[in-house]
Amino acid sequence: MNGTHGYHSGLVDLATGLISREIFVNDEIYAQEQERVFARSWLFVGHESQIPNNGDFFTSRMGEESVILCRDRAGAVHVFLNSCRHRGMKVCRYDDGNTTVFTCPYHGWSYGTDGKLAGVPFFREAYHSALDRSKYGLVEVAQLCCYKGTVWACWDAAAPPFLEHLGGFRRFLDLILDGWDGREGQAELLGGVQKWIIPCNWKWPAENFSGDTYHNISHRSVDLVGAGPSGRSRRDYGELNAARRLHVALPDRGHQTITYVLPRDHVPQAAYQNSPEVAEYFRHCEEERRRRPGENSRMIGAPGEIFPNVALLPRQPRTLAVWHPVNAHQTEVWRFFFVDRDAPRAVKNFLRDYYIRYSGPAGMTEQDDMENWNYAHAASRGVIARRYPYTYEMGMGHAVEDWEWDGLRMPGRVVDLTKAMASEEPMRNLYRRWAQFMAAESWDDLMTWRVPEATRDAKAAE
Amino acid sequence: MSGIVNVRDLAVGTRVKLANGAEAEIASNPRDGVWLFARYLSAADDPALVGQEDMIFAQDVVEILA
Repeated sequence: MNGTHGYHSGLVDLATGLISREIFVNDEIYAQEQERVFARSWLFVGHESQIPNNGDFFTSRMGEESVILCRDRAGAVHVFLNSCRHRGMKVCRYDDGNTTVFTCPYHGWSYGTDGKLAGVPFFREAYHSALDRSKYGLVEVAQLCCYKGTVWACWDAAAPPFLEHLGGFRRFLDLILDGWDGREGQAELLGGVQKWIIPCNWKWPAENFSGDTYHNISHRSVDLVGAGPSGRSRRDYGELNAARRLHVALPDRGHQTITYVLPRDHVPQAAYQNSPEVAEYFRHCEEERRRRPGENSRMIGAPGEIFPNVALLPRQPRTLAVWHPVNAHQTEVWRFFFVDRDAPRAVKNFLRDYYIRYSGPAGMTEQDDMENWNYAHAASRGVIARRYPYTYEMGMGHAVEDWEWDGLRMPGRVVDLTKAMASEEPMRNLYRRWAQFMAAESWDDLMTWRVPEATRDAKAAE
Repeated sequence: MSGIVNVRDLAVGTRVKLANGAEAEIASNPRDGVWLFARYLSAADDPALVGQEDMIFAQDVVEILA
């Protein structure tokens, strides 16, 4: 955790802003990541609207591993490793469905939706009734949290509870999960999950969605086409002329985002003008949102990243993406789209069309991004290329704490992009946290916010 | 005909004969082709099983009775 550790002083050098290409292309580092990052982190596995009924299941992933998100016969939500305790075969090979049991097709061991081992072929004859079935239920995650419909899980019992891990970043996640009119937890998954594989390391999209505003030139063609909901640019962002644009990074958590802050008395701008019904829906929602107490009505969400591999885009399109690692050179992307549960059907249909025009494997903007990540990764794998680190020096020393504007305070470290246009504070924040995870022996080393300041200072001085 | 019973298609209430000679009535079918939940109607090897519900493995089902 201190400067003498390799990940801090060598591969990720935040003092100079240089980060080695090895962390993207090295197979050994990738293998270590699976243990040190993914086996310890809170990971997004799905949404409760995917499993509304008892017996419903959705096959998800945590890092490289297949897991089953399911609701048991009593209504409780579980996440299990999708691997039979006998010989490891997947006990569920469907994407989703409803069942009473998960049966291994190899030798026939069968598990209830509560994970208990229920059926063992020839239990009396071959095992002589001696096998202790209670020892061989499906492996269940150590911790699970359902937050406003989203389901998060963690293999590490020593990790802090999910909301503590989220810390001050909760307000940014709420921008997706709460209704557009400000009511709590109104998000509903729209359609299925888009899944596709891209030939690059998972940290490319994670970095991009941490708040890379510098690459906007890549999307120039989409802006020119006018793929946005009103046929202009990529999004309806009329408010931005009056807003402050920020990078917000939480150093002790590793989460970071772009966000826009509106003046206190800001009047909502017209949007979705190409569809009167949709325009009216959002006009009404904006009005309602501003009537509610709290500050979130003054914030407009933008791309962000929850450490390690969940990207949020709270508005236009409203989506969560998960960057599942496959190997050092491949990532499986899962994109979940959201709408307000109570929105009229016409609004949901309009948004679906816009979302898939923007994001996903056929989305115009996401195609631009993938082109960049895939080719940058490939061009960084060679023995010569690996010798030259990437630079993350932009905006070093320009972040502030206790940022406040017009009565609204922001957590963490903030860079005001209104004039600066771009910074690499979010990327440095992502890789600082990544390096901490790679160096830390346990969560005791990672929960610095729990350590009294005096102890922290003494440790740093050692 | 192979003589092998396709347990996936068996409806609730169907009576089956098992490899050990016991008879059972299907209580529910998860339709995974591997297991049935059934209630024992007779069990010469272990009369205590009669009336009990158990998971029946597909390979143990040798005949459909009714």
